[in-house]
Amino acid sequence: MSEHEDPLQPDLNHGLTRDELLRRAAVGGVVVLGSGSLAELAEAAIAAQRPKRGGTFRIGVSGGGAKDFIDGQNIVTRPDQARIVTGWETLVTFNSNFKLVFGGLAEEVSTKTGDVWTIRVRSGIEFHNGKTLGADDVIYSLRRLINPKLKLFGGAALASIDPKRMKKLDKRTVRLFLKRKDGTILDALGQYVAGIVPVGYSPNAIGKARPNIGTGPYKVESFTPGQRSVHVRNPNYWRSGQPYFDRVIIIDFPDDSARVNALLSGQIDAMTDVPPAQVRVVNGRAGKKVLESPSAAWTPICMRVDAAPFNDVRVRRAMRLIANRPQMVSQALDGHGRIGNDLYAPFDEDYNRGLRQRHQDLAQARSLLRAAGKSDLRVDLQTTNGAVGMNEGAQVFAQQARGAGVTVNVKILDSQAFYSDQYLKWPFSTDFWGSRNYLSQVAAGSLPSSPFNETHWPANRRFITLYTEALRTVNRKKRREILHEMQKMEYDSGGYIIWGFSTLLDGYSTKVQGLKRGDKGVLPLNAFGHGYRSIWFS
Amino acid sequence: MLRHGIVGFVVRRTLLGLLTLFLVSIVVFAATQVLPGDPARAILGRNATPESLKTLREQLNLDRPVVTQYTDWLGGLVTGDLGRSLAANEPVTKLIGKRVENSAVLMLLAALISIPLSIVLGSVAARRRDQPFDHATSIVLLALAALPEFVVAIGLVVLFATTVFELLPAVSLIPPDEHAWSHPKDLVLPVTALVIAVTPPIARIMRASMVDVLESEYVEMARLKGLPERTVLWRHALPNGIAPAIQVIALNLAYLAGGIVVVEFVFAYPGIGGAFVDAVSNRDLPVVQALAILIASLYVFLNVFADVATILVSPRLRTSLK
Repeated sequence: MSEHEDPLQPDLNHGLTRDELLRRAAVGGVVVLGSGSLAELAEAAIAAQRPKRGGTFRIGVSGGGAKDFIDGQNIVTRPDQARIVTGWETLVTFNSNFKLVFGGLAEEVSTKTGDVWTIRVRSGIEFHNGKTLGADDVIYSLRRLINPKLKLFGGAALASIDPKRMKKLDKRTVRLFLKRKDGTILDALGQYVAGIVPVGYSPNAIGKARPNIGTGPYKVESFTPGQRSVHVRNPNYWRSGQPYFDRVIIIDFPDDSARVNALLSGQIDAMTDVPPAQVRVVNGRAGKKVLESPSAAWTPICMRVDAAPFNDVRVRRAMRLIANRPQMVSQALDGHGRIGNDLYAPFDEDYNRGLRQRHQDLAQARSLLRAAGKSDLRVDLQTTNGAVGMNEGAQVFAQQARGAGVTVNVKILDSQAFYSDQYLKWPFSTDFWGSRNYLSQVAAGSLPSSPFNETHWPANRRFITLYTEALRTVNRKKRREILHEMQKMEYDSGGYIIWGFSTLLDGYSTKVQGLKRGDKGVLPLNAFGHGYRSIWFS
Repeated sequence: MLRHGIVGFVVRRTLLGLLTLFLVSIVVFAATQVLPGDPARAILGRNATPESLKTLREQLNLDRPVVTQYTDWLGGLVTGDLGRSLAANEPVTKLIGKRVENSAVLMLLAALISIPLSIVLGSVAARRRDQPFDHATSIVLLALAALPEFVVAIGLVVLFATTVFELLPAVSLIPPDEHAWSHPKDLVLPVTALVIAVTPPIARIMRASMVDVLESEYVEMARLKGLPERTVLWRHALPNGIAPAIQVIALNLAYLAGGIVVVEFVFAYPGIGGAFVDAVSNRDLPVVQALAILIASLYVFLNVFADVATILVSPRLRTSLK
């Protein structure tokens, strides 16, 4: 690797200006600092009108219940997501194009060899109790994230960090010595669940934390699980001028209609997850609008590659050819989505666009099934209402399957029965995933060691070998080739039927300013207005 | 003598009620212990691992013998300790206390409005039998009774909150630390929905019973005595006419306790309906058991009360108690 070739540079280019790039070339090999966020903010400020201070922002969020909790490093449900961003922030962030930038707590995150990393946080950032953010907090936060006993959501992607080999270089700088070369660490540190917490932060029961502190724009004032939480403005927030609201109230709404009604009657200012059938209703109301954000969230149909009948790759190929993808998007997502090609991570730079888009081909499907001796196949398809499109996709697919002589019995289970000890064991089921980049997704669902591997992929060792190599590869071009090969393997013989990606549909009152259309998002409402700090009342 | 008879009757009915409750508690406990699914796994959800499951089971005493768990629970119930919620990890009384209060407010308001309303409607309809008023109320009440509660509730929302008029709130966003009665506007639509659900059956039985009573001899006697119609209706006919209606009233109030779930859901009202649904899907045993026993107790109490009230109100039945 030459002195001037930085393995991570192309990832971060998109957030940096030309000046930064030239400066970096001169320094050689070390990633340059975080003015990326300033460039973005300046751009945004010029484009938008001047923000106004004040007001109480009320948001209705879908789901929730007695198990709600607030933990700066963990989520399970949508209300948990809405709450985590009020008070906690990550070292690096994703911009509206799903590219990693230095928009977070870190001033610098760099590596020369891929297995030794240096993190330096910005100076002058305080936690809600006035304590200054420093290296000790970063070390504590990373250790807590990867602690296997806690099973925190963001832990799996940070597996290559060695908790015993973290060194504090000075008040604001930490050095990590990884167990192996890993280019995906930055990605993992940008996940919204990788919040930075102060030393000693600890929940006092499984998954539940008392009102507690972080560096974010709002402090927790009160919290009643299953009902609502109230957050007050952090006057010492490090981004001067922000946030704009005085208070944020997050209200649980398990029932879709009640949530829509609350928005329409003005009792809340914004809501997540507008049911696709209600989009017209909300848009048609004066003073209310629906925000559509493309996401890489997917609700696949999963076939276990090691269980009959799907252990025969011909059967898997046949099932994939049954899917009429445009029809599935238009019926299961009411048209609010894009078709898929049995590959995940469409926002990843290295998404393999070269693989031809699959279409329905019932004749070919039937001939494949005949060759496999499964002409009159009957299967059960277990599903649940875990996300928009899960049950509906299963039902549309079952209809389409008849055209190939396949009988699919859709079994809709309630959430607890689905995510029971049978979960990950069914030969044929659905599931849901959020937006991730390719290698992070592989770690989460496509390896034997993954926490949620529904398909029990891979069918051979080559995929795992390629994965390990990809983590180690610093040359961008070589890495792209590896990722393309891995995707081709999954495209040819994987267990997922990825028929589409949903669009995030959120509702809001037009007096809320600052929301941008078309943001590539993981979380609704532009990541809840970036923690409710980039939105204001007109 | 009479009083001894009545007191004895009340005591007997109360004891029977307690026995019923005891049997119900066994059924509730047995039913929740054999609900499909494992509470520990339901709580941990997608993040369940053999180690965390084992830890949780020990923490929650799920590995003790069933009979011990039952006696512990029953003892707790009697002393007011309803246990700890498995999902929220706080005392059940703290979790549902406010919600019980909120639901009680709804039920009480619905009862206070619907009972007099339906008695009056039924009586007046009986008085004006086969006249326009009677036919009109009959049709309207039948139509309303035929509609499921959530249709009525959503209809009210569309009519008064979101689409036709925008006078009232569409959802009842009562903050957890405030009392329901300090937000009267939020109560109007949910109470109206409940009143509409409960009034038709009571009004109809009131009418039927009053028609019967108005044709009886003692009412004719009262009329012949020259008493004003009003006095005949309210002092002589009603106390007898109301007796059969009391049972229906009690039944409907008890039904309110359960049927409130749908209305609370539509209005996102912070009551026991939502808590119950949440607890069942979380397999949160202590909360499910506590709420089931609460509703069962209310039911038993209302029935005992109805039996006693029927006796007290009806002179003929009173005298038959020796």
